[in-house]
Formats: sequence, structure tokens, C-alpha cells
Amino acid sequence: MSKLEHTEGYRIVHNWMAEKGFAPFDFQLKAWKKYAQNYNGLVVAPTGFGKTYAMFLAILIDYLNHPTQYKKGIKLLWISPLRSLAKDLQKAMQTAIDEIGLDWQAAVRNGDTSTKVRRQQEHAMPDILLTTPETMHLLFSQKKNSRWFKNMRCVVVDEWHELLSTKRGVLTELVVVRLHAIAPKIKIWGVTATIGNLEQAKDVLIPFKNVKTAIITSKEKKKLKIISLLPDEVELLPWAGHLGGKLAKEVLKVIYKNNTTLVFTNTRGQAELWYQLLLDADADLAGQIAIHHGSIDAKLRNWIENAINEGILKVVVCTSSLDLGVDFKPVDCVVQVGSSKGIARFIQRAGRSGHSPYEVSKIYFVPTHTLELIEVSALKEAVKQRDVEAREPMVMTYDVLVQFLVTLAVGEGFAKNETFRMLQQTHAFSYLTKDEFEWAMQFITKGGATLHAYEEFHKVVFDEEKQLYVVKSRRISMLHRMNIGAIVSDAMMRVKYMKGGYVGMVEEYFISKLKVGMPFVLAGKVLEIVHSKDMTVFVKRSKAKKAITPSWNGGRLPLTSYLSHYLRLKLDDALQPSTRERELKFLNPLLATQNTHSHIPKSNEFLVEKIYAKEGCHLFFYPFEGRLVNEIMASLIAYRISKLQPITFSIAMNDYGFGLLSDQDIPVTEEDLSAILSKENLMDDVIASINASEVASRKFRDIAVIAGLVVQSQPGARKTNKSLQSSSSLIFKVLEDYEPNNLLLRQAYTEVFNEQLEEVRLRKAFERIGNSKLILKVAKGYTPLSFPIKVDSLRNTMSNEKLSDRVARLQKQQYKLIT
Amino acid sequence: MNIVTKNIQFGGEELTLTNQRVIYWKAEETLILSDIHIGKTAHFRQHGIAIPDTIFREDLERLRLLLEYFTPKKMIVVGDLFHANYNQNFEMFTNWLQQFEELDRVLIRGNHDRFSVGFYEHLGFQTEEQYECQSLIFVHDAEVIAPHKFYISGHTHPGVRIKMKGRQYLKLPCYQVTTQQLILPAFSLFTGLNTRSDFEDLKNYAFTDDAILEL
Repeated sequence: MSKLEHTEGYRIVHNWMAEKGFAPFDFQLKAWKKYAQNYNGLVVAPTGFGKTYAMFLAILIDYLNHPTQYKKGIKLLWISPLRSLAKDLQKAMQTAIDEIGLDWQAAVRNGDTSTKVRRQQEHAMPDILLTTPETMHLLFSQKKNSRWFKNMRCVVVDEWHELLSTKRGVLTELVVVRLHAIAPKIKIWGVTATIGNLEQAKDVLIPFKNVKTAIITSKEKKKLKIISLLPDEVELLPWAGHLGGKLAKEVLKVIYKNNTTLVFTNTRGQAELWYQLLLDADADLAGQIAIHHGSIDAKLRNWIENAINEGILKVVVCTSSLDLGVDFKPVDCVVQVGSSKGIARFIQRAGRSGHSPYEVSKIYFVPTHTLELIEVSALKEAVKQRDVEAREPMVMTYDVLVQFLVTLAVGEGFAKNETFRMLQQTHAFSYLTKDEFEWAMQFITKGGATLHAYEEFHKVVFDEEKQLYVVKSRRISMLHRMNIGAIVSDAMMRVKYMKGGYVGMVEEYFISKLKVGMPFVLAGKVLEIVHSKDMTVFVKRSKAKKAITPSWNGGRLPLTSYLSHYLRLKLDDALQPSTRERELKFLNPLLATQNTHSHIPKSNEFLVEKIYAKEGCHLFFYPFEGRLVNEIMASLIAYRISKLQPITFSIAMNDYGFGLLSDQDIPVTEEDLSAILSKENLMDDVIASINASEVASRKFRDIAVIAGLVVQSQPGARKTNKSLQSSSSLIFKVLEDYEPNNLLLRQAYTEVFNEQLEEVRLRKAFERIGNSKLILKVAKGYTPLSFPIKVDSLRNTMSNEKLSDRVARLQKQQYKLIT
Repeated sequence: MNIVTKNIQFGGEELTLTNQRVIYWKAEETLILSDIHIGKTAHFRQHGIAIPDTIFREDLERLRLLLEYFTPKKMIVVGDLFHANYNQNFEMFTNWLQQFEELDRVLIRGNHDRFSVGFYEHLGFQTEEQYECQSLIFVHDAEVIAPHKFYISGHTHPGVRIKMKGRQYLKLPCYQVTTQQLILPAFSLFTGLNTRSDFEDLKNYAFTDDAILEL
């Protein structure tokens, strides 16, 4: 083991570090040694401890020790989920290379890279290429791309925890197996923050047998301080998202006590709101406050990031857009608005302050509604236990499979059997059957099941000469390249000033609802539409005082199962809070109100509230299982009630519970409840209820885009491909009616299961309910528990009534047309 | 197929709206429809998007049943008969047309109808930018509305979104009718719905498989 320290490479790198006043951390040294011994593996360390150097320097040392083994072209491929990370990493690497005195070149290639630079790279690839999973797939779609990768020595996947549980993770798995096929000796390393399933994370990244693997964990731990900001008095009806305003003054005090503060919000809309709140509370902040989120123009975001580093800004209101990324040295304080919904995310965000290894990270929590204080209390407990969530890798994503096969066909072409074996190596497709693979082949070569082969469909064809599957049509190649990737957003429009300059992006859907001259907020500015053309909307500044904030879709984070576990524990405590639980003590009056008007469920009770209101009859349930599981339970319960009589429900849920609303009386008595909440026929009913609800259709949206069934228009672009426009919901319906066995359609249903259902958790929940005393309370008005669910506007519909019956009823009641 | 009808007065004429996306004009023995988008599914497939053909075949079958039911002398398509370039769906349509040799066919050119006059003539369609019959003017997209004129058009694929009690929503295809304008729903089922409208004196005739309702 002591050998490495005596090598020339180690000496050079060690001296270079010493000159800068550093010494390697233990885990870095360990990583270098394992690398030298031909290991693959994972490096686990909190941010700020030099995870990058652990891997990057390992390769430099190896090169310095064995220079003749390295050939021309890419030696190290560095894949990271974020474009913005790459630029700074590249600078750091190039500086190290130059100072050590090597002739290597490190370069970035991603969506921001200019065509000119890309062409140069294709001519002569750099020694280190920093890129994203999507860009790698784009490279795979180029002719003769293997030559670029054949001399590669190592691939490093940065922030692997961020990719792991997403389809981008599957894209990454596919990159790894293909690179391994081209360069079988390649070493694979991942860099990750702490997650609950490290061993699995390693096996997913490095799926090959007969290779040595290791997990290297740093002993260094970050100190974390959590402080919640409490309002002066507790509001009895906690309105989702409305409490925050009263706390703006408290947040200001925090901002002025520190150098630079990042204010994290959960949605882009909330970020816009808080930017206004803070400016309204203190006009002096103008010029020192900025807003940063995914819909703000990239140039502006880059400027903001630089300004943070230079200490020009006092406060930046942001979303998960600043979760990851380079260290912002001046940031010494973080404010979290609303619950972070997950333990790992909370720790990650807190870590953005006090970045250097031994500083304490400070995070202030601002509740948006009173009940969220229970969540902080739960978070504190979880952080104390360092109980961080597992990230479940995705499997059997046929949409990504189909996309990948076409990518290969557009690129060098592929041989069927070889590719099937390659796919089976990945974790994601390790259970892929021959039949399923055949289906995917049919889908891309014939356009559907064998019985209806269409001669006009020739997306992928078999080239007899090459004996490979290839794409011959240039137009299909072009359409496909535009579509590569697994990040799906709604159609976005670029927002541009009449006089020039981009503000950012908003959903086409939002713009379509606005009329010319109507004011709206983006990037903290009040704007009005002048006109719109193709995928660009032209605006000017508006003098209006009031304006609409776009509600970007998909901004909601569900409470993770880990956190909901702690939440139930804390709710139990809430009735008798210990003196040290500041948040729970504060909540006491609210819980007292709940008790007077309805009931507080003890740990052995399950509460159902029935409330008659003007809009109809509400039924509220409180399983405290987190939004995703609550959503499934809601459709299940709605389905079971609808078996008693045909009925239509509008369903809303939050992390605590869910509500069913019907225009008719909901015919449920205390006796019915035990049947409705029974664990008998649980899974059958769940499957039936998912089929009857809209959940799968919503999941299909992403699948349709990834599999290339829906063509997206790029923001700012001209609307080309107009004749190919259709919506995923229309295609969902067409396939449901005419091709029910389509695997992409089936995937929508299985995704509901895999991502939301967690069968074990659902069974446990129903067992818990089964052993609880069921309590049905008819309350006169909304209760503290029900109110936040009632006001939630994001709703599902579930109906087993005939459309004609609904229409017949429509004619007897008041209705409104929405234009 | 369940055909539900509703008679309305428009521009001094009595028109029969149906829940099958066509209007029958009894006085003129004319069937009026819009936005058939023939070739759309094949066009998608040509571009590598696998959409089953069944939806197109069912559109044609529905039209056949309607032609048999009303036995019109004339059929007016107010635009977007074809979706895009010539493809396999066209042949099927050409063969299908042969069973209605006696039928007069008028096509108002839509934004998707980019073939030569000769091409449509070959299929037995008389093509027009605008076509007048009695007091009615047929256009694809009525952009200019002259006083005292009555326009029948398509193009927008109109629908309504209805908010009901209990925060329930319904989205249905419809005919949009004002004093001077009547907009037809798209005939093809492989089309989306556009629920936006800026009309002031608008009546919507929405429909389902077994009803037409005025909203």
C-alpha cells in the first residue's frame, strides 16, 4: 500500500499541492491508491472537500507514472449533470495541469458550446472532456464516433446521486456500457454526496462483473445549524404559501446580519413572489438583490453567479437552480422558504453556506404555512440521525431504450444481438426480455406491432451491406438529434424585450392565456406582452402595480418517505411537546383549534373529516404518507366510494392528507369507512383506480417526448415541424383506443407504480389504518388540517359516471366557460 | 353510431348540427364539414412517429355512415382536407371516394391544402378560396367579416372548457356560433381542441356521443 507515495507521479502532485498550502485529505489519498490498483468505484464526500481532486488527480498521477500507456485523444471523460458546473471545473483542472507542467488540454462540450468549437473538437478531441449525459448521446449519434473514445482510460460521473434516480441516470448507464464496449479496459468512477443506498449506487454505475470496486468515504462531516423563523402569532387557518409574507421582515434581519444570503424557494413562482416581498420590505436592497431560477435567461444567470462570487450581491432568491454547482465563497447564510421536503436536499442546500471544510453551515427555515413547522421539527430530528434518503434507480424505461436504439442507428448503426447483450449489462435493462426488445425493434423499424406494419414507416432500416440497423433519412436524423435527452419541460417561449435583450422563458401554455397588454412577472420585472411570434414573445416594461406570476408546472416536490416517517413521529409528540421543541410548542394553539372543531388523531387513530361547503361535499383523510402515496390512496378511496354509486370527484392532496370533493353528497358513513379503508383486495383496487384516473396519462407526457412521439419546439426557435405537432394526451388516447399493448403506454402505468406506489409502504399504511380506530367527524367549517388541502388548486379528476350523466347534470346547475 | 341532431337558424337558413362533427343543410341537400386532415397519421409515421392507422380508418368510416344517413347531393369541406404531403393514406381515400361518384364535392382551400387545382379536380373536388351559396359564405378561416354577411368556417378546431360545481371540469368539442359566424369542429378525431375564443355574442353547441347542448 505504501508504494504509491514513492512514485514520481505522487511526488509531483503532492509537491504541487504543498506549494498551494494544501495536503491531501485521507479519502483523496485513498482514492489515488485505489485508482492506481485498477479499482473502479465511488467517492463519497460532502461538498467543499475536494471530491474533484480525489478523481482528477488520481488520473494525473497515473499518467505521470505511466505516460507511454496513454494515447492520443480523450483520456478522461468527466460527466456532470449540470452545464454550469463544467466551466469552473475545466478552469480548475486546466490551472492544475498548467502549473504541474503537463501539455494536456481540458475542454467543455455541452449545449452551450459553439458550433465552431465543436467542429474543432471533432477534429482533435481534448485530453479531458467535460460534458453531460445528453451531449454524450449526441456524440453517439455522430458518424464514426467510436474513434473518439477508443483510447479513453477513465470516465468519472460527477454528482451521481443527482442522476441516479432519474432517466438521465439511465442515459448515463447506457453511456457507461457503450464506452466499456469500445474501450474494455476503461475505469469507471462516480462522485457522490451521501445517500441511503451507496452500495446500490455503485453497482448501478459499474454493472460489470470481474472488476474490482470500492467505495471511498471521507470521514469529514459538515456541522449544521438549523434555526426556524417564527411569526409573532400562530394563524389558526394555515393558508398554503401565504404565511411567508409576514416573515419578510424577519428574513431581512437575517440578511443584514450576514454577508451574502441565498434564499431557497421550492418553485419558480415562489421565487418571484419572495423577490418582490423582500424588495417591498426594504427598497434599499435594489441593486443588491437578484433572482435566479431555471426560466431566467442563461446570460443573466451567469452574471448573477459571477456577482455572487465577487460579493456584489447581498441576497439571491433562487430555486433548486442553485442547489448544485460551484462553491460560492462569500455565501455565509442560507434561508429555506417552505419545507425542503427531503432530508438530503435540506443538507445539500444548507451546505451552500460556510463552504470551506471546517465552517458551520447555517440555515434558517421560513414556514409558508403553520403546519410546516412540524416538518422542520421532523427535519431536525432526521438531520440529527443523519438518516439520508435512498435514491432508487429507474428500470425498464422503454422510452429511453427506444431513444437510445435510434441514437445508435443515427450514429454508427447497430447490430441487434450485440446491442441486446449490451443493454442487458445495465441495471436499468437487466431484466429486459427478448420479447420486449423485439417490440422495441418493431416499434422503430415498423412503427407498431407486426400485424400492422406500415410501409411508409422507415425510421430505422436494416442495411444489408453493413449488416447493421441504421437511419437513412436525414430529416429523421435531424428530428431525432433535436430530441435526444430525458429532460422534458412544457413548450417554453423565449421572452425578449422589444428593444432587444432576453429576459428568460415561460411556458407557452401560460402565454396563451394572456392577452396583449396584460402584465406579468418574470425575473422580478413587471412586463407586458406586445406580440408573440413562433416560440418568442416580445415584451416591454409595464407600469402596472399588480401582475400575474406564471405558475410553472412541475414545481412541486413530494415529501420523501423518510421525512414522512419522522413527520408522524413528531405529530405524535406535538400534543405534548418537550420544552426544547420550539416549533412544536409554537404550534400548540393551532392543534387546540383542530381539537375543538374536529379531532387530533392519536397514533392509534385515523381521522376522516366530512365538511359540507357551498362548492359541494368534502371528505378529508389524513394518512401522513407524503404527496405521492397520498395521491395513490386518494384515487383508490375515490374508486372504492364510486363503487357505492356513480360519482365524480375532484381530488386534492398535500403531504399530510387528501380531500375528495363532489358536487353531490358523498354517501359515506362510519360503518362504510372500515370497508373503504380495508386492506382486502388492495392491489387489485389500486390497479383499477389508476386505470380510472388521470395519473398515467400525466406520466405519459414525458414518455411520449423521450420516445420521440411528440416533437418539441425549442424556445426562441421558429415553429418548424408544425405539421407534426400533437399533444401527448391525444397520443395517449389514440394508443389506449387502438394499441393498448404498446409498451410505452404500459410504462406510464408501471411508472406510477414504481415511483409513487411503493407497494410495501402502501400495505403498511393500510395495516396501520386497519389497526387504528376510525373516526369520522362532521365539521361545520374547515379545520386547520383540511384547509391547506382545500385551497390547493392542483387537482385530479376521477369519475365513473357516464359523460352523458355529467352533461345532463351540467344543464341543471351553474357553470362557467373558461376561455 | 348514434347521430344526435339540433336545428339552428343561421343567416336566415336552417342548419342541422350533429354530434358527429358535420352539419346537414337540408334545403340545399348539402353536408358541411371541416378539417379532415387526411394523411396525418401516415405523415407522422413518415417522420418516424409511430401512430396507428386505425384512427384514420375510423374517420373515413364515420364519414361513410354520415353520407349514407343524410344522402346529400353535395359535400362542402371548408378546408384542411389533406394534412400534408402525398402519402399512403391518400390512396385509401381515393379508393374510398369511388363509392360516392354522384356526390358534388367542393373544397375550400385550407392552410394545409397545398396541392394543385388539377390534383383536387382529379379527385372530383371543385376548389375555391371562398364559396357562396344562398346567403352563406364558406371560407377556411374567416379573418375579415363584412357587414350583413354570414360565414361558415373551420381551421381553429374549437372546443369548450366548462367549470362545474365541485371544481369539476369538462372539455368538449363544439360548434361556435355568433350572428355572423359559424365555426365547425374538426372532423378528424386525431386533432386537439382549442378552447380559447374572443367572440362576444358567442353560443357554443358542445356535444358528446349522445347529446348536443347549448352553452
